[in-house]
Amino acid sequence: MTKPSFQHSRRWTLSWCFVAIAAVCLLFADIRITTYDPWTELGRLFSGLLNLSTVGLDDLGFTLLQTVAFALLGVTLGSVCGLSLALIFHWRWVRIMCALLRSVHEIFWALIFLQFFGLHPLTGLLALAIPYTATFAKIYAEILEEGDLSALNVLAHGTGNISSFFYARVPDLYQHFKTYTAYRMECGLRSSAILGFIGLPTLGFSLSTSFMEGLYGQVWVLLILFYVLIATMRYWLRPSLLPLYLIASVFIVNNDTELSMTNISRFFTHDIVPAPIRNGESLASFWQWLSDLLMTQALPGIMNTLVLSQIALVASAICTLLLFPLVSKQFFGRFPRSVGHFFLVIMRSTPEYLLAYILLLMWGPSMLPAIVALALHNGAIIGHLVGRYSDELVMRQDASFGLNRYNYEVLPRVYGQFLAFLFYRWEVIVRETAILGILGVATLGFYIDSAIQEIRIDRAVVLIIITALLNLAIDMVSRRVRFWLRVKTDLSIR
Amino acid sequence: MLSLVNAEVRYQGNVALHDINLTIQKGEKIALIGRSGSGKSTLLKLIYETLPKITALVPQDEGLVESLSVYHNVYMGRLRAHSWFYNLLNLIRPFKSRVEEVNAILEKVELQDKCFDVVKQLSGGQRQRTAVARSLYQGGELLLADEPVSAVDELQAGRLLQMLSTDFSTTLFALHDTQLALSHCTRVIGLHRGRIVLDEPSEHLSAADLTRLYCD
Amino acid sequence: MYTSIRALFNRTVVSIAIASAVIVTPLQAEETKTLVFSAIPDQDESALKARFGIVADYLSKTLEVPVKYVPVKSYAAAVTSFRNDQVQLAWFGGLSGVKARLLVPGAQAIAQGEEDPNFHSYIIAHHSTGLKVSEDFPKGIEGKTFTFGSKGSTSGRLMPEFNIRENMGKGPEEIFKTVGFSGNHSRTVTLVESGAYEVGAVNFKVWDKMVEEKKVDTSKVSAIWKTPAYPDYQWTIRGDVDAKWGEGFTEKVKQALLAMDDPKLLASFPRKSFIAATNEDFAPILNTAKELGLVD
Repeated sequence: MTKPSFQHSRRWTLSWCFVAIAAVCLLFADIRITTYDPWTELGRLFSGLLNLSTVGLDDLGFTLLQTVAFALLGVTLGSVCGLSLALIFHWRWVRIMCALLRSVHEIFWALIFLQFFGLHPLTGLLALAIPYTATFAKIYAEILEEGDLSALNVLAHGTGNISSFFYARVPDLYQHFKTYTAYRMECGLRSSAILGFIGLPTLGFSLSTSFMEGLYGQVWVLLILFYVLIATMRYWLRPSLLPLYLIASVFIVNNDTELSMTNISRFFTHDIVPAPIRNGESLASFWQWLSDLLMTQALPGIMNTLVLSQIALVASAICTLLLFPLVSKQFFGRFPRSVGHFFLVIMRSTPEYLLAYILLLMWGPSMLPAIVALALHNGAIIGHLVGRYSDELVMRQDASFGLNRYNYEVLPRVYGQFLAFLFYRWEVIVRETAILGILGVATLGFYIDSAIQEIRIDRAVVLIIITALLNLAIDMVSRRVRFWLRVKTDLSIR
Repeated sequence: MLSLVNAEVRYQGNVALHDINLTIQKGEKIALIGRSGSGKSTLLKLIYETLPKITALVPQDEGLVESLSVYHNVYMGRLRAHSWFYNLLNLIRPFKSRVEEVNAILEKVELQDKCFDVVKQLSGGQRQRTAVARSLYQGGELLLADEPVSAVDELQAGRLLQMLSTDFSTTLFALHDTQLALSHCTRVIGLHRGRIVLDEPSEHLSAADLTRLYCD
Repeated sequence: MYTSIRALFNRTVVSIAIASAVIVTPLQAEETKTLVFSAIPDQDESALKARFGIVADYLSKTLEVPVKYVPVKSYAAAVTSFRNDQVQLAWFGGLSGVKARLLVPGAQAIAQGEEDPNFHSYIIAHHSTGLKVSEDFPKGIEGKTFTFGSKGSTSGRLMPEFNIRENMGKGPEEIFKTVGFSGNHSRTVTLVESGAYEVGAVNFKVWDKMVEEKKVDTSKVSAIWKTPAYPDYQWTIRGDVDAKWGEGFTEKVKQALLAMDDPKLLASFPRKSFIAATNEDFAPILNTAKELGLVD
């Protein structure tokens, strides 16, 4: 009999495949450190912490309320619509539609709606609700799919669909829905704040203004308030208070902007029509327009997006593996863990854009600041989830400690979950590269932003569609990979 | 070696063990019997806590890492004998000399052909044998085993208990099979509702004496 | 179990209520029409609200209609709100004004700052580059890292790019190691000062003001070249305001702007005074924008 030989697991092989892909991407990535005198500005930045100032932030309270109100309304609307879509998620077209809606970043949704709703509250509401609906639909559908069907199967024949759904499915799964919805609410707060960057009256508005002008005392006030808002979420966001909050939110987000049908119809019949067709030129010139756009913007944009996101994916993975022990009961006591939580909340609540900007000051322009910002931000988010998952592991009484515990006991047990989280996050990372495009890394987001700035909505729409298709492709690959690995995210923790 | 005087264990206010008075001498082969919920596992945990350094453990749920190979799970018995870096390298690619050591143990429990199989794919009996192999590889003076052979056939169960009894000078098995308890142990301790109700050398006991413990 | 279902039900009902409330409330029309104006956020965004607030008060008093200033986040947002009629009057840069008037037929440039017909941009460089102040275009900037201001800026993007192409015969992407967009003029100065970018292009008024207020360390960064003059900022008004606020309203607004002489008001822009402007004054900008492919 031949002795069996050691073979690495699929997870091992796959992990190294991704590392290899990232290494190849590094060859094409523009990475270098060129800066001469970052310390003056960084000094100003951190001395801002000692000189907190609210001068010029007279409507701070209003801004915070707006941020919360948009998040609450957007996420709630998203969860309700998402739940309805989850029930018909087995229809192929619903799945595809959701994947497409999900693949466009909230910022781009908002930029589109700004074109015809202006600053009407619908802009922010829909920009949040649409991508959240699509995400909720997917995850709720998965929760329903994986839930226990035994109660449903014993119901008397002829019980109505709705009754059986609410009696046999909802009660068991309610906790899962609730946990996930609460997690998305935190994401919603972040999204809502970020929408301020492009003009909505949320936190990002003042934040980007103060930041752009180097008023760091104000920047820190805004950031600290935001961290506190997120860190205390579980204290103020009670399900029983939700109806009250929602009603208040309606009044908070309301403003006196009017909806104009002229603007809406102009957008659909004029703005998004490719310029050559709009101007009645020949079909040939339309092809010329399209191929120009594809060759000079879409193609380099796709390349840069992929290069950046693949490197950032692996960098996020490394960050996660380093960070999650900080918040895991398997490694640390209560006090060190709370320090870890504090660090992770800061990392995941600071908009990537700001992180990247600070790093840009330190290292000069290249892909490096974007990569590190994405890695820290996503590493902190996945690290938080993996840490929570590892808390629930039951260890043998004689399990080892320290690095042996990490390598032999914990890592092998959490690795599957870790990969599942990471691959869920993959498409998010791709979406986020778009935002960093605004910093000058020529991702698809950079070209979309340029088109919007030049008020060439026709081009922006084509590029957004291309971005959506790219995301769709990545979503498919990610699903394949997860299927191949047979990993699924634990219901209770996703 | 160990003595407990009036020991008590509480779980969230409920008393799990009362008035435990127990002395264990070196070289004793003890069987711990009682109905489920009578406190066997708790007593084993308590003993482990008093003597963690010299004790090998076979917990009831085996305590295996599902996604690692049988080899690695067995190797884990001796993690503390090596530096973490050596252990890490061994995790990535097993060292030949260690594989030979582990294989020798696996042959004893008849798992040599499963050396590099992932634990997730094993049957219940194979998993138990892996956990037993880990404790054998770890070695030590005292073995605490909680139902270590509940999922293997009778013949093999006897062989495994025999092997553990020879390898460890002192053993304490929680068992529900009274025959096995009498044939492999020199002393039997019976637990009922968290109290020791029986503590006799096995030569004084018959199977019927033990069966009584399982009736009210 | 009972509560969970009830909570779900509550949530649905509330959301439906919200959706309808949001859509319905804004439709209640207002009685007196407010003239809304905006300005491109080219610098000191945080101060804009306070500074343009007093301009709104002045216009409101002079024109005898309610006037409101709304801040926007980008050049494009200023143009879009103007186009959507959410803003009727705007303080645009050269390029944003040209775009706005292309998108809104009938819109007119009515006034510009005294300095605006002869506007300039500076090329600024970090001292480590060794680039020196010169009359001629500094050809040594080749191979450096470079940042523009906003993508839609005249003085921070359009005219510097035009001059770079004129003098080097190639586009910025081919000349520089990296090309970035800082977002606005003050950020350009900060980024070049820190050496994050070696060279940058900036509005001359913003640079001069920052130097004067000692907001920039001139031992680290200096202006090395000044572009030839070009027309820049102007007030642009929609063509349909007369129909809304009465015949001659455009002229009334124009006169109000030209008559602005309070230094406190003028400091908001900052301009010495306002002079009349016409759409034709900005033809050079339009042509340049077309040449660079920034306008169809």
